[in-house]
Amino acid sequence: MQNFPAIVAVGRTKFGEHYGKEPEKLIEEAWLAASRECGVERKDLEACYMSDCFLPITNKLGLEEGFLSELTELHVPMEVTRSVSAALLTACHAIRSGAYNTVLVGGIEKMTDRWDKIRDDLMLLEDPWSYYAGCTPESNHELMLRAYTKKYGIAGGNLKKLNTALAQIAVKNHSHAAKNEYAQYQRKITVEQVINARKTARKSLGLYDFAPISDGASALILTNSEKAKQLTDKPISIFGVASATDYLNYPARDDLTHFSATKLAMINASKMSNVKPADIQVLQLYDQSTVAEMVSIEDLGFCEQGTAWKSIYDSCQDYKGYYEVQGKKLFTNLNGGLKADGNPLGATGGAQLFEIFKQLRGEAGARQATLDREPRYGCALEFEGFGTKSYVSILGRNHA
Amino acid sequence: MSSEPIERRVSYLGDRLKASRCQICGKEFFEIRDYCSNCGRKSYMKMSSVDLFYEKGKLELCTLVTEPTNRFTKLETFVYGIVSFHEGKIRVPGRLTDQIIKPDETVDLAALEGREVIPRFRRRYSVNKADVVPTISLAFTLADEYYPHQEYTVSEQNKEYALPGIVGYGVYTSRFRIKEGNIERAVPFTDEDSVTAAVEAGKTALIHSGIDSANVGKVYVGSESNPYAVKPIASKVAQVLKLGEEEDDLQGVDAVDTEFACKAATSMLKDAAALVSYPGSGIKNAMVIGADNSQAAPRGCPGGELDLFVGYGGAAFVLGKRDVIAEIEGWYSVTSDTPDFWRRDGEPYPMHGGRFTGDPAYFKHVRKSVTKLMGRFSLKPHDVDYFVPHQPNPAFPVKVAKELGFRDEQYVCSLQVNKFGNTYSGCSPVGLAAVLDIARPEERILIASYGSGAGSDAYLLRTTNQLLDKRKRQKVTVKSLVENPFTQFVDYTTYRRLKAGM
Repeated sequence: MQNFPAIVAVGRTKFGEHYGKEPEKLIEEAWLAASRECGVERKDLEACYMSDCFLPITNKLGLEEGFLSELTELHVPMEVTRSVSAALLTACHAIRSGAYNTVLVGGIEKMTDRWDKIRDDLMLLEDPWSYYAGCTPESNHELMLRAYTKKYGIAGGNLKKLNTALAQIAVKNHSHAAKNEYAQYQRKITVEQVINARKTARKSLGLYDFAPISDGASALILTNSEKAKQLTDKPISIFGVASATDYLNYPARDDLTHFSATKLAMINASKMSNVKPADIQVLQLYDQSTVAEMVSIEDLGFCEQGTAWKSIYDSCQDYKGYYEVQGKKLFTNLNGGLKADGNPLGATGGAQLFEIFKQLRGEAGARQATLDREPRYGCALEFEGFGTKSYVSILGRNHA
Repeated sequence: MSSEPIERRVSYLGDRLKASRCQICGKEFFEIRDYCSNCGRKSYMKMSSVDLFYEKGKLELCTLVTEPTNRFTKLETFVYGIVSFHEGKIRVPGRLTDQIIKPDETVDLAALEGREVIPRFRRRYSVNKADVVPTISLAFTLADEYYPHQEYTVSEQNKEYALPGIVGYGVYTSRFRIKEGNIERAVPFTDEDSVTAAVEAGKTALIHSGIDSANVGKVYVGSESNPYAVKPIASKVAQVLKLGEEEDDLQGVDAVDTEFACKAATSMLKDAAALVSYPGSGIKNAMVIGADNSQAAPRGCPGGELDLFVGYGGAAFVLGKRDVIAEIEGWYSVTSDTPDFWRRDGEPYPMHGGRFTGDPAYFKHVRKSVTKLMGRFSLKPHDVDYFVPHQPNPAFPVKVAKELGFRDEQYVCSLQVNKFGNTYSGCSPVGLAAVLDIARPEERILIASYGSGAGSDAYLLRTTNQLLDKRKRQKVTVKSLVENPFTQFVDYTTYRRLKAGM
C-alpha cells in the first residue's frame, strides 16, 4: 500500500452571512469540529495550510498565518493559499514526502463584509483586462454558454431543452441543499423561478444560475496512511490531486467553450490515482454558474463534449438524486453545490471535501447517496478564478 | 488611492490597442510579450508590436451587462463581449459603446455577433474626482454605424507651397443629439469628454492629411473643458496618436494646451504656420485641435442660459508647407480685457455676462479683426468666397456677417451651431471644416473666431487644387456627421446625464 495521505476528520461552519463572527471565530468553529471528531489536538499539528482569497481585502488581514498562530498557540510552519484544494495539494505533497505526519488544512472567507464592492474585487482579480472592458463576474459564464451553443449547433427545441437543463441544475442543487444543515439556502426553487429571473435580467442566465456571496470556514485533518489508521476506522484517502493553469484573460484562451485546465488536471489526477471517471460515483463540481456545472461534467471526461446537457435534461425529468451519464449514476453536488450550499471562495473547497468524506463514509444522513453500498470514489473539482486554475482531487475509501 | 502601477501599465497599452507578433512563427498575442509561447527563448527580441488602433475587429460573442460592476454603473446597460482581430489570432475583451439600452429593451445578441467593430479611445470607468482619469481602447463601435472604418495610409508629401497652410483636417462629434425647436446639439456619450474628442478629431486629420504622424513636431489643443486643471489634453493626444518620433515610450513632440475661451485653438493656427515655416525648427507638420464638451450649468441656475446652446465636438488641422489644401495668406488678431464670459478656478460651470456678451464683446472684436484683415489685403466682401464667423448661437454669426456686408451664400454653409451646438473651442474650427468640405480650388475663405475675455482672430485662406484629391480620403465629414442615419436623439434629462460623464 502506497502512502496515500488520508483525511481523518472534517469540520465546517454553516455558509451564509455571519455578521456577528470574526474570521477567526469561523475557522475556530470548523477546526474544533474536526478536532473533536478524531481526537487530534492542536499540539499534534505539525503544519497548517490555510486558504483564503480575499481576507486582505475584506477584513484587512494580511499575514493570515499570524492570526492562526495566535488562535492555535502554535509556531509550526503555516502557509496560505487561495483555495482549499490548493492547500490540500500542497499538504499532500508534504505528507507524501515524509515531511509531516499530521497537518491541518483549512479555508476561510468573509465576503459579505465587503458586500458592496465584492463583485469588483472578484472580477478585477479574476481577469483584469476583461474587468477594464466592463466585464462582470457573470458575463464570462454567459459568453461561454453562447460559445457552447454555437459550437455544438444547439438551437430551436434543443436550445430550449438546454436552457431548461441549466435551470434544473440550480433546482437540483437547491433540493440537495434543503437536506444540508450547513447550506446557505436550504429551500427549494422551481424551474419557473430560474427562468423568470433570466427574463428579469434580459439575459441567458439570471440570479438563480449563479453561486452567491458567502461567509464560512472549513477544516480537515490530513495525516499519512499509518497515522490515519490509528485515528479512525474509516479514513478517506487522497488518491490523486492535480492542478492545471490557464490564461487569466478568458478571451485570449484557445478554447472558449471548455475549461482546458480541468481537462489537464483530471488527466493527471486520474493517472496518479489510477481511478478513471467511470469509477467515480460522488462528484463535487465548482458550479460558479449552472453553465460551469454542465461544462465541467464534460471536461472531467464523464461524457462527450457537447452532450452533458442531454444527460442532465433526461436525468431531471424525474430526478432520483443523481445524474445518469452514459448509463452511470453520478451523484453530483449532494451538498447543494456552490449554488445553494454557498461559495465563500477560500472555504468552498473544504465544503466539497467535507461532503465527499461524509458520503464515502456513509455518514451523510438524509443526503446519503443511495447505492447498494457506500460509494467508493469521489472527485472534487475546484477553480480559482474563471477556470484559470483548476484543481481535481480524487478521494476514496480503503475500508470495506 | 488608485493602484498606480496597474493604472500606468494599462494606460500605456490600453489607450491604443496593441498586440505582439512573433517574427519567427507568426503567432500573435493580445498583450505585449517578450517571448513567443511556441518559439521560446529564440524569439526574444524577435517580437514585433502589432498596432490595432486603425484596424477593425469582429465581435465574436457578446452578452448584455445589466448590473455592471461599481465603476461601470454610469454606463447602465451595455453589451460586453469578445472581439477578434486577424481571423481570430488575437482575441480581446471589449464593450460596445455609444449605445443607450433602455431598461425594458431586449437586445438581439445573435444579430450583433459576427459584426465588424472598430476600437475606440474612451474613458475606462468612473473614478473619484481627484483621481487620474483612466482611459482605454477596449471600447468598440460597430464599423458600419456613424463611425465608418477608415484606413490610415501614409503618403509621400511632394509639392512644396510658398505659404504654409492646412494639409489635412478632421472633425468629430458623437452620435447623440438633443433637439429643441430647430436646434440640434451634439451630446457626448457617457465615456466621452474633450480629451476623447480631441483624439478622434486628430485621428481623422491624420487620415485625411496622409502625413506620417512622426512628422508632427508640435500639437496644440485648445479647450475649456479639460477634465484636469493641471495636466494637458495634448499629452494624451500625442501619445495616443503617436505624434513625433517615438522612442522608449516617449514621443518626440512638443504638446501644449492653450486657453482663451473659444479662440484657444484658432489662435494657434498662426503659431503652427510660423513654426512649420521657420527653417531652424526642423518641424514638418504641426497639429492644432479645438475640442470641447461645452460646459453649462443646468437651466434655471446661474449661468444656465448657456445650456440652450452648448454642444460637443471638435476639429483638428494639420499644418505644413507640403501638399497644402489651403494656404494661409494672412491674419489679424485683436484683444481687449472684456470679462463677458468666465469660469473661476474650481467652479464646474462658466458664468455669462448676459447682454454684455453682444455688442461690447462678440460684435466689437469680430468686426474689428475682419475689417482690419480685409483692409490689409484690400478686400471687399465679394472678393472672398466664404466667410466663417464664430457661432456661439444661431443669431450672432448671421448678424455680424450681414453687418460686414456678406451675402447669405458666403456664410450660411459654415453655420453648424444649429447641428452641433456651440462647441466652444471647436466652434469656428468646425465651421471652417464645413467650408473646406465643399470649397473648390483657388477660393478664398475668411474665418473669424471669437474668444471671451476677449479677442478675435481673423484668417485669410486660399484653397489649392489638392483639396479635391484629398477629399476622397475623407469618410467623416461635417455633412456625414450632421446627416448620419444612426444619430440618436435624447431627452433633456439624458442629455444632462450623458454630458456629466463618468
